[in-house]
Amino acid sequence: MTFVKGQGMLDVRGLKKVYEGSGRRVEAVRDLTFTVDAGELVCLVGPSGCGKTTLLKCMGGLLTPTAGEVLLQGERVTGPPPGMAFVFQEYGRSLFPWMRVGENVELPLKQKGLSRSRRRELVADALRSVGLADAAGAYPWQLSGGMQQRVAIARALAYEPQVLLMDEPFAAVDAQTRADLEDLVRGLWRERGITILFVTHDIDEAVYLGERVVVLSASPTVVQEQLKVDLPDDRDQLHTRVAPRFAELRTHVYEQIQAAKRGTPRDAPEDAVKTDAPPPA
Amino acid sequence: MRRFLLRLVFVLTLPAILLAVWWAASDSSTDVYWPPLRTILKTFPDVWTVERLRTDAVPSILRLSAGYATAALVGVALGTVIGSYRRVRAVCEPVLEFLRAVPPPVLVPVIMLFAGIGHTMKILVIAIGCVWPILLNTVEGVRAVDSVMAETARSYGVTGLARLRHVVLPSASPQIFAGLRQALSIGIILMVISEMFAASNGLGFTVVQFQRGFAIPDMWTGILVLGLLGFLLSVVFQLVERRVLGWYHGLRATTRRSR
Ligand SMILES: Nc1ncnc2c1ncn2[C@@H]1O[C@H](COP(=O)(O)OP(=O)(O)O)[C@@H](O)[C@H]1O
Ligand SMILES: [Mg+2]
Repeated sequence: MTFVKGQGMLDVRGLKKVYEGSGRRVEAVRDLTFTVDAGELVCLVGPSGCGKTTLLKCMGGLLTPTAGEVLLQGERVTGPPPGMAFVFQEYGRSLFPWMRVGENVELPLKQKGLSRSRRRELVADALRSVGLADAAGAYPWQLSGGMQQRVAIARALAYEPQVLLMDEPFAAVDAQTRADLEDLVRGLWRERGITILFVTHDIDEAVYLGERVVVLSASPTVVQEQLKVDLPDDRDQLHTRVAPRFAELRTHVYEQIQAAKRGTPRDAPEDAVKTDAPPPA
Repeated sequence: MRRFLLRLVFVLTLPAILLAVWWAASDSSTDVYWPPLRTILKTFPDVWTVERLRTDAVPSILRLSAGYATAALVGVALGTVIGSYRRVRAVCEPVLEFLRAVPPPVLVPVIMLFAGIGHTMKILVIAIGCVWPILLNTVEGVRAVDSVMAETARSYGVTGLARLRHVVLPSASPQIFAGLRQALSIGIILMVISEMFAASNGLGFTVVQFQRGFAIPDMWTGILVLGLLGFLLSVVFQLVERRVLGWYHGLRATTRRSR
């Protein structure tokens, strides 16, 4: 299957990560291969503890894979690349509490060596994009959880990345906030044309957000299936989630995850690495 | 404004009561070493003239500042290095534990041998005594930088000096301030002790002089001055801390509320 939006922004090839330490050996990720094209919004879905965070940290250059490699526009990732921004699951611990919201967003830009006026422009623009134009002077801990995660997203946007990696960013916020944030992410993606890899354990969220869903198996982790989400580009919480196609897709993903739990990828990891399996008829 | 006044009342009540008790209990005392507070307070303005403050209080405070500042600089700098590198820590920790266990006043005679009896000796004594709580607290604070914050910094390319300045030191600052606070009281004690050994001016020197000359009420006024100095420094310290750690107190207040 071909994707019209572009070619291989991110390539994950044969990625394996084993944590070794204090006599314990944890194989978090066994063998992952998949591609994210430029301008795509891909959702990675998999059960808790299956190595999603591990995978994302390897992709972001924060962890060194035990085997395999990650390529960003054909170049091997060995450390955090300047074209990549990370939104962490633990937003409360990812923003610096001693800095005001504006300073949090600005810090990475200072590091990039941008001029003061350019920085101010980017910070204001990013905060406006996430609906927090007035919060620049507040401290993160004065904001609600959902607002804090918006700040983290603004920081990532201001960094002007080609690729945005998001690790279960909305797992800890309430349902209403979560719906708003999902729409925010889709809106930003359509507006700015960034490549987004969005990790979640929530099947509905994956199907609602993604252009494509990559289903991971339970640990030891392999790619269980890849699925194109052929929902219209214009999605909204009210209508998309009750569309028959949405129900079919989520049922399919759900079945895949159940199969992954039952199945034995341990015995046949090769079989499980399917690419671009067609959506169910 | 009303809340401020109320706080002032709270702050001043106990000292006022204690002073009153001291006043009443010592009022009819005829013991030479234990003069009535009335006598002490009457002596006070005669002893602590502007001239006396200039010749004795100022040198003490300058030496304390110099020693304390040195300790703060060295403690934070070394503590940051030791806290940042596991290898360095493994090498340094046993030595640090030993050195910390040596009570700083016994160093006075030793330091006198090679640093003489001048300012350098006293500043060194204060610095050596003050450095430990600052150093050890900095090590702990630097080690305890949150892993998610550290990864955030790394993923956004905040490394090297910027990381130190914007992430590591602010994150460790509550611990560093705890160390600085302990060091302040140690510093005042060592300031006095170092002046008792060998000095020609200073608050500790003055108190000892009065005691040797049997000017007992004068000696007591010296003790009052030392107490006041300690109090003043602690107030200043608190003001600085509240400014620098404003975010920390705010953060703690919110997490407490949300529990
Ligand atoms: N630093 C680590 N050291 C050892 N094991 C780890 C470490 N981080 C994660 N793991 C283990 O790796 C597996 C995958 O973890 P993680 O990537 O966090 O999963 P997910 O994000 O999908 O919930 C888990 O079994 C977890 O216990
Ligand atoms: Mg995770």
